[in-house]
Amino acid sequence: MSSADSTEIEKSEDSSPVYEFEKSLSDSISKKFSNVEIAYVKQNRIRVNVKKEEIIDVASFIRDELHFDHAESVSGVDYPKDKQIEVVYHLGSYTDPLLSKQILALATRTQREDNPHPGNDSSKLPSLCDVFPSVSFHERECFEMLGVYFDGNPDNRRLLLPEDWADIPPLRKDFAIKGR
Amino acid sequence: MSVIAPKFRLSYLIKGITDNLFWIIVLMTLLGIPAAMIVLIYIDFPVIDGEIWNPFRVFDAMTHPERALPLVKNFMQTDLFKVVAFPGFGFAALIAAAVIFVERKMLAKLQLRVGPFYCGKVEGILQLMADGLKLISKEIIIPAKADKPLFWAAPVLFAATAAAFVALIPVAPGWVVADIDLGLLAVFAVIGFFPIITILAGWSSNSKFPFIGGIRALFQMVSFEIPLILSLLGIVMLTGTLNLVEIVESQVNFPWIIFMPIGAIVFFICILAELERIPFDLPEAESEIVAGWLTEFSGMMYGLVQLGSYLKLYAFAALFVVLFLGGWNGPWVYPIEPMAEIITDGIVLMPDALVIKDIPGLPLFSQEMINGTIWFVLKTVGVIFFILLPRGVFPRVRIDLLLKIGWYKLIVLAFVNIFIALALVYGGIIGPGGIL
Amino acid sequence: MSQKLPPGLQLEKVDDRIMTLNVGPQHPGSGHMRIILKIDGDYIVHCDPDPGYVHRGEEKMAEYRNYITNIPHLERPVIHDSCNILYPYCLGVEELLGLEVPERAKYLRVIAAELNRCVYTEYWLGIYGIFLGHSTMFMWPVGDRELLIDLLDKMTGARVTHAYFVPGGVRNDVPPNFEDVCLRQVNYFEKRLKEYADIFYDNPILISRTKGTGVLSREDAIKLGTTGSVLRASGVDFDIRKKEPYDVYEELDFQTNVLKEGDSYARSKIPWLDMLESCRIIRDALQKMPKSGSVRIKLKPKPKGGDTEVYHRVESGRGSLGMYIVSNNKPEPYRLKISVPSFRNLIAMPHLLKGELLGNLPPVYWSLNYWPVEADR
Repeated sequence: MSSADSTEIEKSEDSSPVYEFEKSLSDSISKKFSNVEIAYVKQNRIRVNVKKEEIIDVASFIRDELHFDHAESVSGVDYPKDKQIEVVYHLGSYTDPLLSKQILALATRTQREDNPHPGNDSSKLPSLCDVFPSVSFHERECFEMLGVYFDGNPDNRRLLLPEDWADIPPLRKDFAIKGR
Repeated sequence: MSVIAPKFRLSYLIKGITDNLFWIIVLMTLLGIPAAMIVLIYIDFPVIDGEIWNPFRVFDAMTHPERALPLVKNFMQTDLFKVVAFPGFGFAALIAAAVIFVERKMLAKLQLRVGPFYCGKVEGILQLMADGLKLISKEIIIPAKADKPLFWAAPVLFAATAAAFVALIPVAPGWVVADIDLGLLAVFAVIGFFPIITILAGWSSNSKFPFIGGIRALFQMVSFEIPLILSLLGIVMLTGTLNLVEIVESQVNFPWIIFMPIGAIVFFICILAELERIPFDLPEAESEIVAGWLTEFSGMMYGLVQLGSYLKLYAFAALFVVLFLGGWNGPWVYPIEPMAEIITDGIVLMPDALVIKDIPGLPLFSQEMINGTIWFVLKTVGVIFFILLPRGVFPRVRIDLLLKIGWYKLIVLAFVNIFIALALVYGGIIGPGGIL
Repeated sequence: MSQKLPPGLQLEKVDDRIMTLNVGPQHPGSGHMRIILKIDGDYIVHCDPDPGYVHRGEEKMAEYRNYITNIPHLERPVIHDSCNILYPYCLGVEELLGLEVPERAKYLRVIAAELNRCVYTEYWLGIYGIFLGHSTMFMWPVGDRELLIDLLDKMTGARVTHAYFVPGGVRNDVPPNFEDVCLRQVNYFEKRLKEYADIFYDNPILISRTKGTGVLSREDAIKLGTTGSVLRASGVDFDIRKKEPYDVYEELDFQTNVLKEGDSYARSKIPWLDMLESCRIIRDALQKMPKSGSVRIKLKPKPKGGDTEVYHRVESGRGSLGMYIVSNNKPEPYRLKISVPSFRNLIAMPHLLKGELLGNLPPVYWSLNYWPVEADR
């Protein structure tokens, strides 16, 4: 778990450790949803950890009230020690000029099984395709690379891997590259 | 173990020599004797100095070369020479070869590179010969389920039709391979063959990309033939004749392009489309359909298709010159001295030496012919330059835009041209019984 | 008939009217990816891009290499634009290790990044010309690109894949009279760029072929999360060098180019306008660069990041390139995710190609500033 509460000084301009604008954003989220955890508030970067049942509501709130309108990237991180897979959505905004520097990282976790059957085991998450249409291809890639099935994504097919890939999803930590 | 240079054995050498001798004698007997009989029976020998020329006079050429000249001149008047060498195939092929080389060099300079450079001492002049040798030496691969007779015939037909087109163009006064009274109509008939051959080639290849290319070529050529024919109707109305030689003779004082500029422009654009040159090279659009209808042709078949293409280029440019720019008419540039003295006094090469008038058989070419040829070649080269230029400047048009150009805009312009011609004729300015 | 197909394959229904066409990797008009098209006559009914032809697993391999040996590895997705893809990585690692980059190194980075942007965009423009059948538009950009590659050769030692950026600065300083040579070449390059307008952008055939095709409206561009020149051609003024400036971009004087139409013509024009801006940036940076100074911070042999994560993004030749690094006190990153602009723009392709003519496939597809190798990582 990345629980970074150390305030890292950025190499450029702002050196005050309390970031007002970012704090106001994270406060508005934690006021509305009591179950979320604000992981860190750094300069221009906020991270919010959400449970998977609430993620669609939180994402809709972020889109409608806070005006974040697209996803910059969607990455999956594998934590075999906690037996969980974390999916992080980095959200940005094109329309709101105040938010053009901000990136909000929305993270959820899901179960991880030792013998994965992608699509048929307990690693499932609700898809954010209806809230942010820009995540559909990223979620497909996450599905094939880590085995996390997204309910509601219209297209859960292979994207980058070849059609005859028969091994476990490659980005998991127990997939070892041959020769290393 | 050297298989390239095996050990020398005398018996193999003698066997090789006798084999060669045997085959030479056999072929000379089986083919040479019938050929000699045909020559002796069917070909008329000229009459020189009051007696019939006989083959023994060939030996004369070693000591008195000028005695061979009447023979040469006689040969130049025959039909065979006209078809093979001067206004026919040889001349056209030479111009086509020069055009290919100039196109590559000119495009290269336009695109800031060098072009053919290493073949031949001077800037890659022999590149074309090298390409021809390469094409001849390649294996001809035929797709498995292709329609073999059509597949073999298509490039040959293409080159043959292009050569038939070349045969109709008059180059100099008196020098045309086929002097037909309905010359322009014959041109339209020959042009009409090209779409058929293209689609036969595309169909017989039995493959998806040539098929699409053949269909696109058919669309393109058919939709541009109509404006082509319509734009020439203006000229026919003004001159009152379909004979190409007479059209050129009617332009002694002025070229027709002054009165028919719209027709010339429409004709030029239709030329670009018929030749499948950029910007109209959809049938060979590389980024979409590999190479179009000539994808499956390899080796010399591809060479024949290219030859036919460039013969067609020369023929269309020459047609443009004949119809719009005045053919062989032009001010007198060569020979430089006035005509009459040459005929009576001959040319003096050195003081107290050879006076050419005395040699029978000279002059080989009449003065009008040399002058006419020079002007014709200059004008054709100019037109070809303008046909080659768009290749470096324009991208390719899309199929629906191409069809819109051919069916809407060019036909309308061609009709405007016809109305101008009608106005000129009925106004009594030009045409039979006009002022000019 | 099989009931269970191997995962990844799907059964295709056959329809009389609709033909499935594989514009595959081995095609002169497709780059290194496959596009599965369903066409009805000449109209595209459905488009299914299939990237992954050159997928190598960059992200997985990055977890096996430490922060320094990752540098030549991570620049391989885009070999011409290698400085721009290492930029967010270096910025991120500097934040993890707490490094402060010297001034002269920042200016050198900016110059190298702008040169790389021009090199990539020239290559992209050349291929765009060839897709449309314009061979001169292929020869001119590729020839002019050689000037800049020469400059980069002097600067970094390699023509492409420079491996020039390291966390803490740049790898080496430039040779002594580099500023004059650079200024001269950039001036000549800018003159050549202006000639492209005559032959390409004002060419009536190009305008009739690309204007009005593949129109991406402003709302769609924002909703689909496109980035870079695709976004700016649809009327959204968003350039990371202006909005979230990194290194010394705040002190340099340039502007963002925005066009409103959102068709293929606008998308093909924006990178060219951006290249003209890059020339201005390079000239400005050469003037303002400190004349001497160190260009690199000495690092310990295997630096370890803390227990945090960072996300940085820069404006590369194609759009906003982001890098998400998760580290856990080891010399290797725990997870490295590269968010490439080509992959983000890919989602616009099925959206735009539906209903287009087949002859419009090359202009629309390549105008999305799509680099297949980068999208596959």
